[in-house]
Amino acid sequence: MIKFNPDATGEKLLRRLAGGTSRRGILSRLGAALVAAPVFPLLPVSRAEAAKPDRSPEAKTAFARSAQTKDDTKCDYWRYCAIDGSLCTCCGGGMHTCPAGSEPSPVSWVGSCINPDDGKAYMIAYRDCCGKPTCGQCGCDNIDRETQLYLPQLNNNIIWCFGTSSMEYHCSTAMMIGAA
Amino acid sequence: MKRMGRLARVAIGAVTMGAMGMGAFGAPVVAENIVPEAEEATVNTIDPPKLGWFYVRGGWGSAGSSIFDAGTGKMLGMVSTSRDSDLAIDPAGKFYYVAETMWTKVNRGTRMDFISIYDSKTLKLVTEIPTPGRLIVGGFTTNFVLSDDGKTAYDYNFDPASSVNVIDMAKRKFVRAIELPGCASLIPNEGVGFSALCADGTLATVAVKGATQEITRSAEFFDAAADPIYSNVVFDRKKNMAVLLSYTGLVRTVAMGAAPVVSAPFSIQEAGGMRAADVKPLDIAWYPGGMQPTALHRPSGTLWVLMHKGEYWSHKEGAEEIWGLDLATKKLVKRIPVRGHPRNIEITQDDAAMIMVNGMDNNAMIIDSKTGEVKHEIENAGGGLITVVEPK
Repeated sequence: MIKFNPDATGEKLLRRLAGGTSRRGILSRLGAALVAAPVFPLLPVSRAEAAKPDRSPEAKTAFARSAQTKDDTKCDYWRYCAIDGSLCTCCGGGMHTCPAGSEPSPVSWVGSCINPDDGKAYMIAYRDCCGKPTCGQCGCDNIDRETQLYLPQLNNNIIWCFGTSSMEYHCSTAMMIGAA
Repeated sequence: MKRMGRLARVAIGAVTMGAMGMGAFGAPVVAENIVPEAEEATVNTIDPPKLGWFYVRGGWGSAGSSIFDAGTGKMLGMVSTSRDSDLAIDPAGKFYYVAETMWTKVNRGTRMDFISIYDSKTLKLVTEIPTPGRLIVGGFTTNFVLSDDGKTAYDYNFDPASSVNVIDMAKRKFVRAIELPGCASLIPNEGVGFSALCADGTLATVAVKGATQEITRSAEFFDAAADPIYSNVVFDRKKNMAVLLSYTGLVRTVAMGAAPVVSAPFSIQEAGGMRAADVKPLDIAWYPGGMQPTALHRPSGTLWVLMHKGEYWSHKEGAEEIWGLDLATKKLVKRIPVRGHPRNIEITQDDAAMIMVNGMDNNAMIIDSKTGEVKHEIENAGGGLITVVEPK
């Protein structure tokens, strides 16, 4: 089993932020969210580097073995390996575009998904679109490498509408961050 | 007015027949046939929390937890639990506590976080305790927990930095927030404060001492990314013991205290005479699954787990069987096949030991854990978390 401690970097950063700002101020919370945003997607990159992942079919999860690259309005589209919620592609938005009137969250949880066309793994940031009622279309709950609340950047239950004008959840996008 | 008139006519007709001493067909008029006056609207009260009750949260987005009697399967009332709120039951049985979040204009405006206190007999709001924030998420039992005496509440916050709000429930006042980076999933720790699972594979223990606290960490005992422990930890207040279950089915007990002692893990599959499940793909085995996959029957020390056949990374999958695990002997003592792929399970803490399961279809089943017999099927009971009253 590969050892992975994604918490170390994030914890150090959050401790530094927490120590240097007034936690009561909404601005400091928003600041923490914004500054932390680029860090979360980076965390599993170090995991992937450390693991030197095996991309053989035998090493792929059930999701990765059956994922497709043609239809991004289906739950089995390859980027959705750890998504939970309504697909924004079914709600008037796109893969990295929020539907009209909604607002992208500056932070997200992430997944590491394999594109079946090239067999490579990519970091995907699942940014929620916020500020409208739940879209309700194309509900998916994929859980490759999805963890629990103590590892929040890899948990897909949390509503990530932090730092947006409304915390109401509308749908989820699946933005490409880069190769894993 | 029309309705009043009709009721009055019924009453007059009944009185007239009563005066004749006979009904329309010659039968004596009995009291039930007489409507002496128009009925008034009344409101019921309800008994304090009972061991044989289930509190069943509606599906995602619903705003109530329905109370069902395990013996009859009948609904008795509802506690108001707004979307993504957390419910806790006062150990003294006098109140229901709901940690929740609202905005002044429903979905926008000024955010308000607070704990609503409901009287357990009238189910009416008593008061609210404002708090500085909380994590908005559904489906977790360990974000809002009470100390054994019910005087202190710990409410997890994530914004997105981790902290825990300490609330004095006796004075009904927020006390302070304790920063707890990298940890969540709160476990009450009698006489100490609380503990929490952490991303580095340790258990943090927060000894709350007046205005200060001491945070210590256990040795690393699990891998939070490779084989996570479900956040919905179950806890036995009498034994001051927590039971942890990992995605592969490793069971650990934790003797809580100032320095909690985590037991060596044992495999739930091996407890049933099977090969332990693995994290590798294409390795079909029985795995735990669901949002609330475990229920602890505290009087007998039996852990009930929702299980399904599949591959690893199927930890939210609904169940095909319910497994009963004797924690003392580490043996699988019962397997109950179950329909409907339930994702949540609880069990009443009395001798009846009735299980309730529910799932995405919003329907619930009450099952006798001793016989496996389905006693009640309840449509639209709710598809969310199930809560029971813990024994004192």
